[in-house]
Amino acid sequence: MKVGRRKFLRSGSAALVGLSLKSDRPITGSFVNDSFQMGHLLRDRASFPPAKRVEKFPVAIVGGGIAGLSAAWRLRKRGFNDFVLLEMNPQAGGNARWGENEITAYPWAAHYVPVPGPKAEFARELFEDLDVLKNGQWEQRDLCFAPQERLFLYGRWQEGIEPAIGLTQKDRDQFQHLEDLFAKFRAGGEFTIPLELGRSAKFQDLDRLSFSDWLQQQGCDSRLVNWYMNYACRDDYGALAKDTSAWAGIHYFSSREAEERGPLTWPEGNGWITRRLLERVGENVRTNQMVHRIAETKRGVSVFSGDKEFQSEFVIFAAPTFLAPYLVDGFPHLHDFVYSPWLTANLTLERLPDSRGAEPTWDTVFLDSPTLGYVDATHQSLRTHIDRTVWTFYWALADGTPAQNRQLLLDKDWNYWKEAILHDLERVHFDIRRCVSRIDLMRMGHAMIRPTVGSVFSEERLRLTRRAPRTDSRLLFANSDLSSISIFEEAQYHGVLAAQSIFERLHAHR
Amino acid sequence: MGILLFISVLLVAACGLIYELVAGTLASYLVGDSVFQFSTIIGTYLFAMGIGSALSRYLNRGLVYRFVWIELLLGVIGGFSSALLMMAFAFTQGFELILYALVIIMGVLVGLEIPLLMRIVRDRYEFRDVIAHVLTFDYLGALGASLLFPILLVPRLGLVRSAMLFGLVNAGVALWTTYLFSTQLSGTRVLRIACVVVICGLGIGMADARRITATAEDNIYADDIIFARDTRYQHLVLTRFKDDLRLFLNSHLQFSSRDEYRYHETLIHPGLAAVPVPHRVLVLGGGDGLAVREILKYPQIESITLVDLDPEMTKLFSTHPMLTKLNDKSFLSPRVHIINADAFPWVDSNTDNFDFIVIDFPDPTNYSLGKLYTTAFYRAAARHLSLQGLMVVQSTSPMFARDSFWCIAQTLKQAGLQTYPYHVYVPSFGEWGFVLAGTHEYTPPTSLPSGLRFINVEGLPALFQFPPDMAPLPMPPNQLNSQVLVRTYENDWKDISH
Repeated sequence: MKVGRRKFLRSGSAALVGLSLKSDRPITGSFVNDSFQMGHLLRDRASFPPAKRVEKFPVAIVGGGIAGLSAAWRLRKRGFNDFVLLEMNPQAGGNARWGENEITAYPWAAHYVPVPGPKAEFARELFEDLDVLKNGQWEQRDLCFAPQERLFLYGRWQEGIEPAIGLTQKDRDQFQHLEDLFAKFRAGGEFTIPLELGRSAKFQDLDRLSFSDWLQQQGCDSRLVNWYMNYACRDDYGALAKDTSAWAGIHYFSSREAEERGPLTWPEGNGWITRRLLERVGENVRTNQMVHRIAETKRGVSVFSGDKEFQSEFVIFAAPTFLAPYLVDGFPHLHDFVYSPWLTANLTLERLPDSRGAEPTWDTVFLDSPTLGYVDATHQSLRTHIDRTVWTFYWALADGTPAQNRQLLLDKDWNYWKEAILHDLERVHFDIRRCVSRIDLMRMGHAMIRPTVGSVFSEERLRLTRRAPRTDSRLLFANSDLSSISIFEEAQYHGVLAAQSIFERLHAHR
Repeated sequence: MGILLFISVLLVAACGLIYELVAGTLASYLVGDSVFQFSTIIGTYLFAMGIGSALSRYLNRGLVYRFVWIELLLGVIGGFSSALLMMAFAFTQGFELILYALVIIMGVLVGLEIPLLMRIVRDRYEFRDVIAHVLTFDYLGALGASLLFPILLVPRLGLVRSAMLFGLVNAGVALWTTYLFSTQLSGTRVLRIACVVVICGLGIGMADARRITATAEDNIYADDIIFARDTRYQHLVLTRFKDDLRLFLNSHLQFSSRDEYRYHETLIHPGLAAVPVPHRVLVLGGGDGLAVREILKYPQIESITLVDLDPEMTKLFSTHPMLTKLNDKSFLSPRVHIINADAFPWVDSNTDNFDFIVIDFPDPTNYSLGKLYTTAFYRAAARHLSLQGLMVVQSTSPMFARDSFWCIAQTLKQAGLQTYPYHVYVPSFGEWGFVLAGTHEYTPPTSLPSGLRFINVEGLPALFQFPPDMAPLPMPPNQLNSQVLVRTYENDWKDISH
C-alpha cells in the first residue's frame, strides 16, 4: 500500500509553517554615510579643480576623527586657536560618529572606551575635562549600567561573553591557562595603552606569528576557547585570530586591568565624546572638505581642498594613513597598512522582542555567529520604562580577504544585508521581524587598521610615527593606525602628541 | 482511503498527548511542584491507557460505531478538561481528586483508540503494515503535539482554548469517520447529529473561554475583582472583600485598605512633622494618592508635586468613587500637581527645591526599577532638598529582605546623606522599612497633625529601634554599574519562598 508519507509530511510541515506566519512589519531603511565614492576619486587619480583661493593658517589638521579632534582639543586647551580642521564627510567624528532619531541617539561605530588606566594620561585628562573623572572617581552615569553583557548559546542565555556554561574540564583548564599567561604579560608592563609606551623588542618574536598559531603553541585546541579568542580579534581588529599578530592578540587581553568597573559608554557611543569635543573645537572644524592634495613647500605645507589652498606652517595628517600615498606629493607606497572592512547597522525597534526571560543587557552576542551581535542604545537611559529602542548591530567582515569583502560590500544591495542581519537575529529573537521598523546600514571599506603579523613592529610604521613628533618635518602623522590597533586611546594619544609637538615648535620659532 | 485513515491516527494521537500536557501544565501552574505533577500525571495517564488497551478486547461488534462514540466522548471530556480543572481548583476542595479522575478517564479512552483502529483496518492491510503505519503516525502525531503545545498553543491560545481546539479535532475525526466508513455504519444520522452537537458545544466554549478563565480567576484571587486593566506600564488589579480594598500591580500587593494607614502615616509623619516650615513637597511614585492624603494634613503646605509614571493609575485614583473615598480625594486638591513622567529623567531635569521628598517606588525586582535605588538617583534627588529638607525612602522589608533594606540605607549614606532607618508592622505586608535621609541631623518631631490613627509622639522613638533579627548588616552601596540591590533582593526572597 502507498501511504504517500513523504507527501503527507510535506503538507504537514507546510501547515505548521502556515500557522506560524504572522504579519511582519514593513521595514524601511537605506545605506547611509557612504564615503567610498570620494575615496575612489582619489584612488583613480581623478583630476580636481585648481586652487582659486588661498587661506593661511599656522596649522591645518586633515581628518576630523578622534585623532584630529584630539589634536584640535590640545591646541585650543593651550590657548592656540589659529588653525583649521578639514573633514571630508558632512559630519565629524570618523569612527566616533553618531546618529539620532526620535527614540534615542545611537553610535555608528565605536561605542565604548574601557576605563583608562594610569598610563593613558591624555585620555584621563580629557575625561577630567568632560567631568567624567572627578577627584579620581569615575562618574557612575558614564559607566556601563548593569547588566552589561550576555551570550546566547545552546538555546539559552548566560551573563558575560566568555562562555561559562557547558564547558568541559579541558575547556576550563585552557581558559585558566590563558588567563594565567595574560596575567603574567600584564604584570610585565610591556603591553600598555598607549601601546608605544610599553612596546619592547623583548616580545618582538610574538609579532612574527599569528595569534592562532600562538594559541596552538600554548596547547589551546578547545573549540570554545578558540571561538572566544576569535571573537575578541573580530571585535577589536575586525580580523580572525589567524590574521592577527600574536602580539596584538595578547595585547587585547593583557593591556587592561583584570578588574574593570567600566567600560565608559553613552547612548551614542563614542559619538558622545565627539559631541563634547566639537563643543570645544567646533568653530575650527570645516566639514565636506575633501582634501585632494598635500604638498610640502619651502615655507611649509599646502593643503588643497575643493578650489582652496590652505597654506600652513604645519599639517597634522589625522586621516587614515593609507590615504597618504594618494594625497601627499612624493609619498611612497605603503605595505604594512591593512584595513578591515565593516558593516554596521542601526535597527529601530518599535517594541522589544521576546528574550525568553533574560533581562536586556548593553551588549548581546551569539555563539558561533559570524557577526558581533548588537548594542542597545537605550541601555544607558535613566528611564525605567522603555518600549522602543535602537540597536547597533556590528559585523566585521573577517572571513576572507579584506579586498573580497570590500567588493562584497559594494556588490550587495540593502535588501541582501537586511535579510542577513534579520536571519542572524532571528535565531535568538524569533519575533524580530515584528519589532523592527527601520534598518540603516553603514558600509566602511577601511573601517579599522588590522594588526597583521609583523605590523606592530613594522619599520615602515615606526618611521612614520617617529617622523611625527620628533623630526623637523612639517607634516605630522596622527591616526590610530600608527599603533596598528584602532582604539580611541591610540587615536587620542597620537592626536595630542602631534599637537603638542607642533605647539612647542611654533613657540620655538617665535 | 489509506492516507485519510492514517491522518486520523495522527490527529487522535496528537489529541491524546495534548490532554496529558494540559493536565500536567495546569497542575503545575495551580499546585506547583512541576516535576511531581508531570511525573505522576504521565504515569497515571499511561497506566490508564494500558487499562483502555486491555479493555479493548471486550469490544467485539460495531467497532467503527464505538470508535466514533469514543472520539466524541474524548472530545467532550478532553476538550473541557482544562476549563473543568480550573473551575475545580477555584470552587472545590478536591482538585487533585478531580484531576486524577479526569486523567484516568481520558487515559482509558485514549488507550482504546489505537487498538480499535488497528482492528478496524486489519482486513485491508497486512498485519506488519498495520502495526508499522499505525504506530508511525501515532508517534508522529505525538511529536507534532509536543512541539505545537509549548510553541504555539499555550502562548497563543492559552490552556483552556488549546484543550477545546483539540476536543474539536476529536469530534472532527468522529464526524469524518462516519463518512469514511459510511458503508459499515448504521444509524449514521444520529451519530452525525451527536458530532455536530459536540462541535457546536466546543465552538461556543472556545468563543467564551475568556469568561470561563475570568470566572475561575475571580475565585483564585480570593476576593472580587472590581477593576482590572493592562495599562501601557503595568497590570493593575483592584480587589474587594467586604470593606477591604486591595491594589495589586503586576500581582504585587500595594496596599490593603484595612491597614494602609499604618504604612502611609509611618511613611510621611516622622519626617514631614520634623521639617520646621514645610511649604513644598515632592512625591515620587505614590500614584494611589494615599501618601498625598497624609501630606495634606499639614495646612502650611502650599504645593505637592506628584510624579508617577502611569497616567491611568493617577486617573483611576482621581475618579473611582471607592478609591477617592480611600484617599480623601487628595488628587482633587488644588494644592496637588500631578505629573506623569519617568522619575529619574524628571528629577534630573527639574530644578525646583522641596522641603520634603517622598520616594515610594515598587520594590527593586528588576534592573529597570533598580536604577531608582542607586547613589546616582539619590544624589540627583537630594539636589532638590531645601536647607531644612528631609527625604524618606520606601526601603522594602528589614525582616524578609534584610540585606536589601540595609543596602538601600548604605546607598543613601554613600550618596552623602545622613540616614535614619526605621520600620513599622503592617499586617498585610509584615515588617516594613523606611529610611529618612537629609543633609543635617534629624530629631523626631514633638507634635503631629491631629486625627492620626497609628503614629503618636510617644511611639516615635520605638520605630527607630531595630531588634537583633533586623539589625544592620554591612552591605555595599547600589550603583548603576553594579546593581547589587536587584541581585540581593532576589536572593532575599529566594531564601524565604521556595
